[in-house]
Order: sequence, then structure tokens, then C-alpha cells
Amino acid sequence: VSAAPPDQQQEQPDRRQLPPDQGEELIHHLERDQLVAETFRPVQRARLSRRVTISLWALRIFAVALGVMVIYTFIARL
Amino acid sequence: MATPEVTALPPFLGAPPLTDEDRARSRDRSRVHHARKHERRWYLMWLLVGPGILAMIGENDGPSMIAYASDGAQYGLGFFVPFIPLLFAMAFVVQEMAMRIGAVTHRGYGELVLQRYGKVWGWFGAGDLCLTNLVTLIAEFVAIRVGLAYFHLGAGVAVGLGLALVLFTLRGGRYWHWERTVLGLAVFNGLFLVAAILVKPHLGSVASSLSFSPFPHGSFNTLLLLLASTIGATVTPWMIFFQQSASADKGMTPGDVRHGRYDTALGAVLASVFGLGALIAGAALLPHSGSGIQGFAGAGFPQALDRISGGAAGTVFALGLIEAGALAILTISASTAYAAGECIGVAHSFNTSPRNAGVFYAANVGVALIAAVVILIPGAPLLSIALNANVLATVLLPVSLVFVLMLANDRGLMGRWANRRSTNVVGIAVAAFVAICGAAYAIDSFLQAIHGVGA
Repeated sequence: VSAAPPDQQQEQPDRRQLPPDQGEELIHHLERDQLVAETFRPVQRARLSRRVTISLWALRIFAVALGVMVIYTFIARL
Repeated sequence: MATPEVTALPPFLGAPPLTDEDRARSRDRSRVHHARKHERRWYLMWLLVGPGILAMIGENDGPSMIAYASDGAQYGLGFFVPFIPLLFAMAFVVQEMAMRIGAVTHRGYGELVLQRYGKVWGWFGAGDLCLTNLVTLIAEFVAIRVGLAYFHLGAGVAVGLGLALVLFTLRGGRYWHWERTVLGLAVFNGLFLVAAILVKPHLGSVASSLSFSPFPHGSFNTLLLLLASTIGATVTPWMIFFQQSASADKGMTPGDVRHGRYDTALGAVLASVFGLGALIAGAALLPHSGSGIQGFAGAGFPQALDRISGGAAGTVFALGLIEAGALAILTISASTAYAAGECIGVAHSFNTSPRNAGVFYAANVGVALIAAVVILIPGAPLLSIALNANVLATVLLPVSLVFVLMLANDRGLMGRWANRRSTNVVGIAVAAFVAICGAAYAIDSFLQAIHGVGA
């Protein structure tokens, strides 16, 4: 959830020079899960049903087969 | 999993340490907050547009514009005048989902698929992307070469120009700088509209072709190629990777989804209008044996337009091809870089310096460099590669579309921003249409290649 934006800010100076309260102001422009430290935390793995998994594999094999056909046709027509 | 360098900052209560990437993104977000707070609507729009326009106009690349011009030169305006906007409407449905997923999860397509559904699916997707991107990038360099050939400049200049642009836009270590520079280049995609005006089309014939007629004539395989390559000219895997990752990199949030839709819709409209420009310019060649022009086998279209409609039309069309190729090199290289960083699990942002995101920047430059080297190989089948780039993208696209639909319906990730039923109906219809057209062309061409049947 976004925190409230500051009243007056256009161009930010180097934050390393700022005291903690203004640094905190900077972080409030971002949602917490936008921070790099948070985005590098993996999302939970989804549990796919057997039917979905089989369908995905079928689609993948279908796409690979078509890709091979296109590449074969490309080479054959050279 | 590697993490980017974290610089020392004063400790905040309960907040993780800020990186340079966080600071850069926060500066961009502070302007968005300020514009929203003071109800500066147009300024807010200006701040939030970018990924959608770049994905859509980036797909108006060299091969696509040549495909539209070829359609016009071979079949005229009929069928294509309504068909191209229809395809961009399909692209809007897909790209809106990608933008929404990026804004809500703050993560790119590659990393979400990899983390949510497993490494196998993540790497398959990245593999598809790398293959189609490499082939397409080769085609982009070819398009630049075709445009430059009109000005009597060779392949070396095309390679130098493309690589110099990639390096130029990567300076600065800021997403905002990269996006605005590339948006500035995207404006010149409008040259195709200028070319269309210069050929002085008959407005009545443009209007009358809105009825999807006459339907293109020719063999079954030719029609399938036409459909597959035109679809591949409007919706491709790299657009999905790019827009989702760029939306996250830009710092978009669920509160920006409405503006993200405007951005994507504006991109679709502009790309559609500019694509129609290329079609109309090409259609000017129809009464002059335009179907015989091989666009990639030299400076075919610019020179033909030069003869038929004057030097200005040829020059503008050639400049448009150079721009279209150059813009696509930037966006497609960026999508490769995002995918590489996301799948390997290292820093993947234009807001990070090259020192802290080596893989991201190396992939960005590296893929463009490999494509550039290929077009310098004497005797390389550039014409065939360019013509097959869109078709390959079309046959591999359905898998990406299915995962976008799965992510956009994942309530664990998307919450109340998950797809509505109507979006799912349209999204599934788009995926099915693309899969059927791609499969029909691939199978028919394959049968012709091995048995000489199916025509």
C-alpha cells in the first residue's frame, strides 16, 4: 500500500546526505513490495493440477513441433 | 540468487535498505505523486505513458512495415484496412494484461513464470524469446540496411548505427532516460503516415475497403503466410516480456493501471495508423506491378515509390524503415535483457548501473551484437531469415499467451486486479486464433516442403 506523498518535492537531492526522516520520506514514494529487496524474494510456487500440467506440456510440445516445422521449411527453401 | 549492491543508508524503522535502483525509481514516483496530488492530469499522463507506446510502436518494426507495404503492393487496401486495426485491438488485450500484471506484482513476465510455475516453464519461455528475438533482430538490421541502401550506404553503416544507438540509450543508468530517448525515436514511426500522404491515396478507396473486401486472392498457403506474418507483425512474445518488465521497472502500481491502459491504447492506435500508412504507401505500387517487388532484396520499396510517387515518398519511406529497425533493436534488446536478468535472478533494471547489473547490460548489447555480426556474414540468407521472423514468432506465441492468461487470472498474485470473465473470453479467443493460424501455416508449409502437397 502506498504511503502518502510529500507535499513539496520535485527534484530529490542525493539521499545519502539526508537525515533518516527525509530518507524515510523517499521510501514512501514506493510501495513496499516495489523495493528491490522485496522483489528479489521469490513468489510462492503455484500448485498446478494434473490436468493443467498435461495441457501445458501438450501446448509446449505443439509449439516446439511447429517451431521445428517452420525451421525445417526455412532450411529446405534456402 | 544474487542481489544488487546495497549502499549504506540511515536505518529506517522496519524498512529494508535502499539500493540505487530504489532511489532512482522513487524519484520518478515522487513526480507521479506530486502530479496526482495537484491534479495535473496531462502531466500525470506524460509521466505514466511509455511501456505501452514502446511495445506497440516497437512492433511496427522493419519486417512488419515491409509486410504491410507488401500486402498493399500485392493485394491493395481491401481486407487489410480493417484487419490491421483489428490485430492491434487483439494486441491491446494481451498487452493490457501484461501491463496490469507488471503494475500489480512489480515483477517481469520471465521471473513470475519461473517462480510461480517452475524453472522448466520459465526457461522454455526465455528460450522462445531468445530465439525469436535473435531472428527478429537480424531482420531489423536488414531493414535498416534496406533503408540505408536507398542512400547508397552499406551494411557496415547499418551495423554501426544500430549498435551505436543501443550504447547511446544505455547511458545514464536511469529507466526514465532510456524510455524518453526511445519514445523520442518512436515519434518518427509517423514517417510512414507521411509516406502515405505523399503517395496521394484516393480517400474513397480507403474508406470503401473498411468492409473487409475484396478478400486477398492466391493459394491457400499464400493466404496462411499472409495471416501468420501479419499476426506476427502485431503480437509477439517480446512485447509481452517487454511491457510487463518495463511497467515494473518504471515503478507502476495498481493505482496507475488506468493510465497504463491509456498508454497501451494510445500505442495501439498510433501503431495501427502508422501501419496503415505503410500499407497505403505500398498500395500505390499495386497498379505498377507492385507484387513483384522483393522488399528485402535491395532497396525495393523506397526505390519503387521514388519512381511512382516522387523522390520525397521514397526518401520518407526509407527513413521510416531505418527508424522502424532502429527502434525495434532497442526495445527487443531490452526485452532480452529483462528476460536474462529475471531468469538468472540478478539485477535487471535500467535504474541500475552497468557495474551492478552486468548480465542485464551484457545481454542488452550482446544480443544486438550477435544479430549485427550475422548480417555481415557474406552470403547469409538474410531475405529468408527476415521473411520467417514474424512467422516463427506467431507459432511460438500461444504458449506465452497462455501463461499471461494464467498470471492475469492468478488471484493469489493479482487479487482484485485479476481478469474479468469478458477479458478471459477475448484473451482465449486471441490465443486460439493465433494458434490456429500459426499451426495451419507451419503444417501446410512443412507438407509442401517434404511432399510438395497442400498448396
